[in-house]
Amino acid sequence: MLSVANLSIEYQNKTVVDGLTLELAQGEIFALLGDSGSGKSSTLRFIAGLDNTKQGSVELDGVRLSDHGQHIVAPESREVGMVFQDYALFPHMSVFKNVSFGINHLPKSDQKKRVSELLSMVGLQGSEDKYPHQLSGGEQQRVSLIRALAPAPKILLMDEPFSSLDVNHRQQLTLQVRQILKETNTTSILVTHDRDEANTLADRVGKIKHKQLTLV
Amino acid sequence: MEKHCFKSKIWISIVALLVAMPIFVVAFSWALPEHELWAHFSENILSDLISSTLILLLGVGVGVTLLGTVLAYLVVMVEFPGRKWLEWALFLPFAIPAYVLAFVYLGVFDYSGYAQVWMREVLGLPGFDIRAGSWAIILTFVLVFYPYVYMMTRASFKRQKVSMIEAGKLLGASPIRVFFKISLPLARPAAAAGLLVTLMETLADFGVVSLFNYDTFTTAIYSAWGDFRSIEVAAQLASLLVLVAFFLIYFEKKARGQAKYYSADVTNKKPYHATGVIAWLISLFVFGVFMLSFAMPMLQLVIWGWSSVADEWSAKYIDLITSTSILTITAALITVALATVLALPGRCKQASIWLKSVIRLATLGYALPGSVMAVGLLYGINQVSLINIHFGGESINHIIYGSIALLLFAYVSRFMAIAYSSIEASAQQIKPVYTQSARLLGASRMRLVWQVYLPMMTPGILAGGLLVAVDVMKELPATYLLRPFGWDTLAIQVYELSAEGLYERAAVPALMMVIFGSILMLIFQRLDKKSSKGL
Amino acid sequence: MSIKTLVSSTIVFSVLAGSATMSAQASSSFNSQDDSVTVYSSRKEHLIKPLFEAFTKDTGTKVEYLTGKGGALIERLKLEGANTKADMFMTVDAGNLWYAGSQDLFQSVQTETLKSNIPAYLRDPQGLWTGLSIRARTIVYNTDRVKPEELSTYADLATDKWKGKLCLRTSKKVYTKSLVSSLIYHHGKDKTADIVKGWVDNLAATPNAKDSHVMSAILSGQCDVGLVNTYYFGRLIEKNPTAPLKIFWANQDTTGVHVNVSGAGVTKHASNAKGATQLLEWLSSAKAQAIYGSLNKEYPANQNVASDDVVSAWGSFKQDDMNLSQAGILQADGVKLMQIQGYR
Repeated sequence: MLSVANLSIEYQNKTVVDGLTLELAQGEIFALLGDSGSGKSSTLRFIAGLDNTKQGSVELDGVRLSDHGQHIVAPESREVGMVFQDYALFPHMSVFKNVSFGINHLPKSDQKKRVSELLSMVGLQGSEDKYPHQLSGGEQQRVSLIRALAPAPKILLMDEPFSSLDVNHRQQLTLQVRQILKETNTTSILVTHDRDEANTLADRVGKIKHKQLTLV
Repeated sequence: MEKHCFKSKIWISIVALLVAMPIFVVAFSWALPEHELWAHFSENILSDLISSTLILLLGVGVGVTLLGTVLAYLVVMVEFPGRKWLEWALFLPFAIPAYVLAFVYLGVFDYSGYAQVWMREVLGLPGFDIRAGSWAIILTFVLVFYPYVYMMTRASFKRQKVSMIEAGKLLGASPIRVFFKISLPLARPAAAAGLLVTLMETLADFGVVSLFNYDTFTTAIYSAWGDFRSIEVAAQLASLLVLVAFFLIYFEKKARGQAKYYSADVTNKKPYHATGVIAWLISLFVFGVFMLSFAMPMLQLVIWGWSSVADEWSAKYIDLITSTSILTITAALITVALATVLALPGRCKQASIWLKSVIRLATLGYALPGSVMAVGLLYGINQVSLINIHFGGESINHIIYGSIALLLFAYVSRFMAIAYSSIEASAQQIKPVYTQSARLLGASRMRLVWQVYLPMMTPGILAGGLLVAVDVMKELPATYLLRPFGWDTLAIQVYELSAEGLYERAAVPALMMVIFGSILMLIFQRLDKKSSKGL
Repeated sequence: MSIKTLVSSTIVFSVLAGSATMSAQASSSFNSQDDSVTVYSSRKEHLIKPLFEAFTKDTGTKVEYLTGKGGALIERLKLEGANTKADMFMTVDAGNLWYAGSQDLFQSVQTETLKSNIPAYLRDPQGLWTGLSIRARTIVYNTDRVKPEELSTYADLATDKWKGKLCLRTSKKVYTKSLVSSLIYHHGKDKTADIVKGWVDNLAATPNAKDSHVMSAILSGQCDVGLVNTYYFGRLIEKNPTAPLKIFWANQDTTGVHVNVSGAGVTKHASNAKGATQLLEWLSSAKAQAIYGSLNKEYPANQNVASDDVVSAWGSFKQDDMNLSQAGILQADGVKLMQIQGYR
């Protein structure tokens, strides 16, 4: 499904990842561990097409997205979903507007149906008209997750999505997210520094160590 | 992506270069040197003018920074009696044109003004020449221009997390230390932006300095033009002003440094509650500034206006108000629209030194005195007419001369900096992660702009638009020179009457301007409250 | 306000402004074809409007006008060239009139009516402009502290006895410039430089922005004497008849009081030169000249018209007979000299 080959990343003029290779199967959940500055977030952002890098290629569902560290397909055309560390919900849009942002090409009634389904999936049914600042951290996190899932992306990328939640919430939500990802059969990569979280959520866990990916 | 950049480069360049047209005209004046007049100026007056200008800039700069930031800090961080309405009342001096404030102050505090008469006759103090030296004019400018710094630092203080201040408190820092060590450094970019606007206004001012008969660099510009009939030397001198503005902008950028100020949540919780005597002292101070900069001059205008409104009021005022409103609103909308084009976040802009430079160029017009700007435009149009473009059988300059388009052009060129700095500040607060998530959700550039950027920039766009509107309403020299028949404004009426010493009658249109401006500030207040809730 | 409203209102307003421009355009081009006269004036609106209204009433010809600062309007006329809508340019100060003439902005108009109404020395020799009112710039003093016997000439105000007692208007005002030009004409540059230096040394306060401020300063005791145009004095006395302030006719034993004119000329590219000439002749008529005097307490240029009552009360005086174009020719020298002597 996803294949990343020969990826090299520089961070503050130092090579932190050198020749990384990663293959994911359809529906597989992969967790990427690493210390801060180890290049794990940059790897994710390269897959998303946000930052260029020195060397590397990305192929998704048989389509070449990036080659030689340069992006061939722009982020908006990649069908890649991403959950950011601080959720990045648009503060001026309601929950409905946020979640339907990526599916605005659908007829309005379909959008409504889809958003309502997704909201019930994460236990937030009826929250369509709320604004992000009216939601708790955990709720925002869940909205951000279903916003990314709404267009049914080929792959979901999560950059430390649980880091700003308290411990109790975190565990519960991690399990819930795993369940949702499995239900929707979404291929995903989770970037985290928390080994427990990685083990709970992912099918497979890797760690960036000495500039290389090692499976744990 | 390459293609996308090419297109946006073309667009931004066209807008920016058009807006910067008067700057080019002024710069081209160097092609016509005039040695004799330069010799006279540099030998006899320039050194004095430069030092008096520097003194003025220094005094006004220090003054507005201190007053503006302290007021903003008090109003945002401290709870004291009357805080709520004073927070908004402190914006009101924006509505008073600088020259109106100057003539009121002189009327009250000059040797023959009743404040000094009272001092001499009742207190027995010796009289003094208030216009001697530079302290009085500095004080006047500070009271007129502090709202720029106040406005920008207030917004910045509002974004500071209360928890941060509380952390400082718990570490044992006094309120004053918290101000200097935590809040002020964080508000530095905002203060610098306000300071920049103030200094450029001061540089370009002619009304206040001529009432005080204080010589600045603009005096030399007017002397070259008015006394020696040399528009070339006037333009050359003006281009030096632009150069100074350029350096000011450069230093402001430096002062901002790498500081990117993304918005935190706006809360209305006050970390400090003043009580007892201190609370009343703070109230007294803030109220005093309001009195001096707004209430007292207003009262004077009302007294003057009351005695003359019967003589002065006529149907003509309907026309004056109509044309003032149309010019003000149209100019503000056009300026804001163009400034938004220039300020929209974009990948191409970040990478392109060319784009950054043309945008800078487009904001330099603020340092040009209005009349120089106007003549620059007329000159530019004259050059165009040499190419002799014909338009529907009529030569193009025949259409442009004395048309409202030329005047609007001048307003846009002159006030672009105001709109741009406000809108750009709000664009800077859009975290890159919003762009990224919108793009990953498949949004085109169009959707990104319309659904993400513009709504998030709305507070800055509104603030910029209102500031431009107030400035256009107050603008005099360019309006006086470029307006078409039948487009007299309230500012022109004020000038015509006060130039003849008819202050009582001039108070009538002046009051109308203040009311008009106050309404605009009130609208601003409502929108600001609304938008800070939404974001 | 949402962005959409903002954008749509931008469009609406742009269209509105555009159509306003068009209609302004249309109406003015219409006007240039009918018989109305268009005037650029640096005389303030409240001083010219009653005159133009009376003219329209007498002749049926409409007058459109645009006020502005003299120098700026000259610049606008120059830049507009043949495209100008102005048929007449009206301004104060002979220096400005002379300069507009020297820039080829006027056409020659020498009709019998003008010749019989206005004496030759108030008209341009080539007929480019015509003086329409006379203003005298002379000494004003506080009657409580100064005896008229102490006063004599402009130059006398530069002597030590007036140290700390003199108030002057700023050197940037055209009336000051013309006065100093006349001093250069009579005394030469060196002597004039000494006079100006003496004035500056005698100043009790920073030069004032306006003549009315000079008189307030004298009234309040900041200084004892000053120099003003008589009509400013006239306005003050009308409002405050008991003010201890009087004017003194300067230089009566020597060159006479410095006088200046306000005047007008028909523009070179006038589209309605005939109407403009008619207006100019009408302005020189006894009727218009009387209005001039009563509106602004000036002296009529038409010698057959008596001054306003208030003005006549100040008595007659000897005028400086310097050809007024000298005020324009010597102005640059005068300004340089004042700048060198530190007269702000």
